[in-house]
Amino acid sequence: MIDFSSLQGDTLWERWQYFAQTTPDKEAIIHYRAAATPIRLTYSSLLEAANKFSLYLKNIGVKKGDVCAIIIRHNPDFYPFYLGITGIGALPSVLAYPNPRLHPDKFRQGLSGMAQRSGLDWIFTETDLEEIIEPFVEDKETTVNELFFPLEWDLNRELSDEAIQELSEIRAAIKSDEPMLLQHSSGTTGLQKPVVLSHSAILSHVENYGKSIELSEDDKIVSWLPLYHDMGLIAAYHVALASGVTTIQIDPFEWVLAPILLFMAASEEKATLTWLPNFAYNLMADKLSDEEMEDISLESFRMIVNCSEPVRTESHNKFLNRFKEFGLKESTLGAMYAMAETTLTVTQTEVGKRATEVSIDREFLSNGKVVITNDETKMRICVSSGKIIDECEIKIVDEYRNEVDRDGSGEIAVKSISMFSGYRNYPEKTAEVLGDDGWYYTGDIGFLYNDELYVIGRKKDVIIVAGNNIYPEDVEDIVTKVENVLPGRVIAFGEDDAELGTEQVSVVAETELKTDEDFNKLRLEILRAGMSINVNINEVYLAPPRWLIKSSSGKPSRKANRERLKNKNNEQVWSRK
Amino acid sequence: MISDRLKKIICDELYLDPSTIEINDETEAPQVPGWDSLNHANIIVAIEKDYGVRFKGLEVLKCNNVGALQALVDSKVSK
Repeated sequence: MIDFSSLQGDTLWERWQYFAQTTPDKEAIIHYRAAATPIRLTYSSLLEAANKFSLYLKNIGVKKGDVCAIIIRHNPDFYPFYLGITGIGALPSVLAYPNPRLHPDKFRQGLSGMAQRSGLDWIFTETDLEEIIEPFVEDKETTVNELFFPLEWDLNRELSDEAIQELSEIRAAIKSDEPMLLQHSSGTTGLQKPVVLSHSAILSHVENYGKSIELSEDDKIVSWLPLYHDMGLIAAYHVALASGVTTIQIDPFEWVLAPILLFMAASEEKATLTWLPNFAYNLMADKLSDEEMEDISLESFRMIVNCSEPVRTESHNKFLNRFKEFGLKESTLGAMYAMAETTLTVTQTEVGKRATEVSIDREFLSNGKVVITNDETKMRICVSSGKIIDECEIKIVDEYRNEVDRDGSGEIAVKSISMFSGYRNYPEKTAEVLGDDGWYYTGDIGFLYNDELYVIGRKKDVIIVAGNNIYPEDVEDIVTKVENVLPGRVIAFGEDDAELGTEQVSVVAETELKTDEDFNKLRLEILRAGMSINVNINEVYLAPPRWLIKSSSGKPSRKANRERLKNKNNEQVWSRK
Repeated sequence: MISDRLKKIICDELYLDPSTIEINDETEAPQVPGWDSLNHANIIVAIEKDYGVRFKGLEVLKCNNVGALQALVDSKVSK
């Protein structure tokens, strides 16, 4: 296991430089691509390129503390560029590359919201996006100074001694408690919450999390997760690079089309660790054929960590049954509970042991009590997210934020040394979730049993589709504008899809239309509206006027109407499925 | 050119009416309502089942539009 106390560097840059000096030829990043030779960056070559990017950034006017948005697809230059930003004390902020279905106006609108909230100072992207982003940057109201295309920069020149000296001075002035990066809670266009993390928060987290998974110098991480997602950025990128471990990075767009890529990379490079959202277990077990798996060995894996959406026992079983003949060990099936607000991990299951499962009485659980049962008609199998990592605390609280009894369930509150200090420029949202006592109230519901955390639901209405948070308000705002939908008479919510192992987005909209033909046309328009904000609406329910039940606030109630929909005899509601 | 059979499989999987949806050689997945990354796997499985063929992930990865997917189907069927 790595002796973290022996690692040098109080800032991320110092830590990377330490590895470039002590293990210069060790592979830092393997940039993996379908049907192509992987590109390998050693710690020294990574830092050498990062230095050149730092100088370039300094020369174009980027300063310490500036927020640099990066919108770049899977590219080997991304990594040194990201490090180069850190190397002048600016804050990298990785944003999602727009899916082609996202309407350019909606993309700009999302950028605009983020720029105002997060204070984006610079945008670094690819020339393909120039046409879409340029109008936003030219807008007088924007906070963004300029748009640049770092993949086009000529970095062939060697750094002069003078330039190296200048960069050294800049780096010496960067303190460990200063902001290092800015990440956004995943979401759609309007409701992203910016989280700023300091060097010390990240380095503390790397140490505490690294110990919990018994990270060693010989580990190799493999990941297809996007780097705008906290699990991809922190677990599979920062944890690796700040521990001197190798990380193999796969393009998320390619993995979705060819899930075998993860196992190909793992098998070829003998990867030991990966993190996956629950849906990926189902997708891979269902999709990968024996023919594709022919030359694959999964024996090198020592831990596969399930995170980012509720962990399902069925998914673990399915995955294990499908892949055990290819060397997958049951003991690799781990899980963790994590969030951007605590840098990442709060709890992690033990190394070398499948995530524990307990059978809880469903009826007692609905009343906030945790009672073990053997009665199959009443049981709900809950999968553990593991034990609390070092320098982190958890308490389970009731609706008044008072701690519940030991056998109670309630909202999970967290305190951590790697905690954020509040959402950037969002005091009202910060006040909602961050108590004066320093506890962060997560909005997730769970319980502690034998010192392990079990996450069972959410207080908030957020929909988690394949590890991505979607806010129902965003979907409702766009659907309500569709012609023939009664304005304001829409709800969006998540429906469980056991086959896919995730939730899907459903919408109920009131309309005055009456014929099957009109309903079909309206459904299509609602699907298209969702596409314009890059949300796939899986199910559309169309209801007559005044069907939706209102809450006390006068708005249609998501909870009450969801319950009402469960009544399958409700002939007033039309749906295609 | 896209066959009616392929178009029908895609539309059935996404609960779309083929008469209201334009799908041609150049159509890309994100342009079709409902065709996201989750449904993509279901569509591929439905095509495999209907035609009695199997695709490799890397073969599907190379299909950047429906025309390429049709060509992949045709190449498998003719074997």
